[in-house]
Amino acid sequence: MLSLPELQQRFAAAIRDGDGAAFAGEIDAGANGPSALDRLAVYRNNWREGFRNALASGFPVLARLVGPDYFRQLALEFLAAHPSRSGDLEHIGAPLPAFLERRFADSAYVYLGDVATLEWACQQVLAAADHAAATADALRAVDPAAYGALRFGLHPAARLLASSFPVSRIWHSNQPSAEVESIDLTSGGEQLLVRCGAAGLELHHLRPGEFALAQALAEGSDLGDALAATHDAAPDADLASALHRLIAVGALDLICGSLRP
Amino acid sequence: MSFPPAIRLRAPRPVPACAGIGLRARHHAEIPASLPAIGWFEAHSENYFGRGGPARRALAQVRERYPLSLHGVGLSLGSTDRFDLGHLQQLQCLIRDFEPTLVSEHLSWGSIGGQHFNDLWPLPYTGEALRHMTRRVAELQDFLGRQILIENVSSYLTFTGPEMTEWEFVAQLAQASGCALLLDVNNIYVSAMNHGFDARRYLASVPVGTVREIHLAGHSIQKLGEQEIRIDTHGTPVCEAVWDLYQCALQRFGPVPTLIEWDTDVPELAVLVAEAHRADRYLERHHAIAA
Repeated sequence: MLSLPELQQRFAAAIRDGDGAAFAGEIDAGANGPSALDRLAVYRNNWREGFRNALASGFPVLARLVGPDYFRQLALEFLAAHPSRSGDLEHIGAPLPAFLERRFADSAYVYLGDVATLEWACQQVLAAADHAAATADALRAVDPAAYGALRFGLHPAARLLASSFPVSRIWHSNQPSAEVESIDLTSGGEQLLVRCGAAGLELHHLRPGEFALAQALAEGSDLGDALAATHDAAPDADLASALHRLIAVGALDLICGSLRP
Repeated sequence: MSFPPAIRLRAPRPVPACAGIGLRARHHAEIPASLPAIGWFEAHSENYFGRGGPARRALAQVRERYPLSLHGVGLSLGSTDRFDLGHLQQLQCLIRDFEPTLVSEHLSWGSIGGQHFNDLWPLPYTGEALRHMTRRVAELQDFLGRQILIENVSSYLTFTGPEMTEWEFVAQLAQASGCALLLDVNNIYVSAMNHGFDARRYLASVPVGTVREIHLAGHSIQKLGEQEIRIDTHGTPVCEAVWDLYQCALQRFGPVPTLIEWDTDVPELAVLVAEAHRADRYLERHHAIAA
């Protein structure tokens, strides 16, 4: 008789590989009723359908764009490449954007990777810590001489996303209640801040200077360096209003800075 | 408790011996707004592992107004892999933040070699598996510093060479680990039909006093050629045979908090409330008998 660890390894292999024959001898199928292989197939189906369902509920726009049959095929390919490593199904979607980018590189469907990036960002901000973001009042309390040394981080319930496709329009027009809309994929890219606030998900369009500033701050630059990097990336940007916009949409956490004495 | 709770909560209230329903995302806004006449709620722990956001706010609102039970589906208790420490810590934080009255997990496993299948697979009913499961339940109770409830699962196969029945396994696990039992009456019925044992005999073998919660749910019948198998789908009303078995369970165990579970194609709240009120009517009869 197999030891418990051996039995678990071989049962899992039979489910994963869809090859029940080698394990059928470990199953007591009884005199009547379904065969050992049919019984194993129930578990294999539960595993695959459970994964597909969880993925579809995390990526509803992607599922709607490609349709149920093709989504199922994609989900099973993705499952084979990136099986779950956690007892919490919330984690399974993390590698999906990169998987789709590779899968559809050089094809007309390459935008699906960015759609998945946006939906993964939505999932993350919806479950993130929701303490108050840095406010303009907090900033006013800082000694102006110390502004350059301020450090901000991206708020946990905020994500930045740059796409060369109109990804937020695709997202909005594929919500359950949305009217069908035709979108020109070449109509221009977007730089977005995805935020979960008290009222739910918000997608904010950022100007190039705002995006560059948020990115530099998120990467750990102090405000002085981040403003310099923003000026290099977007010379026309109004730096003060870029900072105020990021504060206004709740993008930032004030990590450290000297308060006015 | 090692940390003060993040939010001030009312002291946990006992889960009353009446019917509760599962908290599902579809009803997050409606429940705090309409405050349905329901005795208590049960939430899947993993659905609230995030650090904030609308789901946790809904859970906090429900917790303010109703007794709460947390029901884990992802710990893979019976696995011979090591515990996922991150998962345990997230569960511990959730318990610290929400102070549930009951915490439960399953008599099952669903991961090995680091891969998770996110399902509730049956254990072989052997002495080796019993010792393993007993150790794991004891470790979990030590880690969390509280008693947990262990739920029997539906199964679609049994392994060769069992050394005991499932009901003997369950009774010995409770006795050896000090856990309580969450008896899923639908799961007993589904497994009894799939494996040809007597569901009433199962009930009669579970020690009175160990059962602190009962689950009821719907299942479906799947055709496999000439044969059929019952699948625990949680997507339909509780069937009449399971209601009958539930009444047998109440006769043996007395009035026990009873949950209506519905996880796929979740219907309108009113449908769940109606199922719960049917369970309440059976529970009231047993309260009357007890009094």
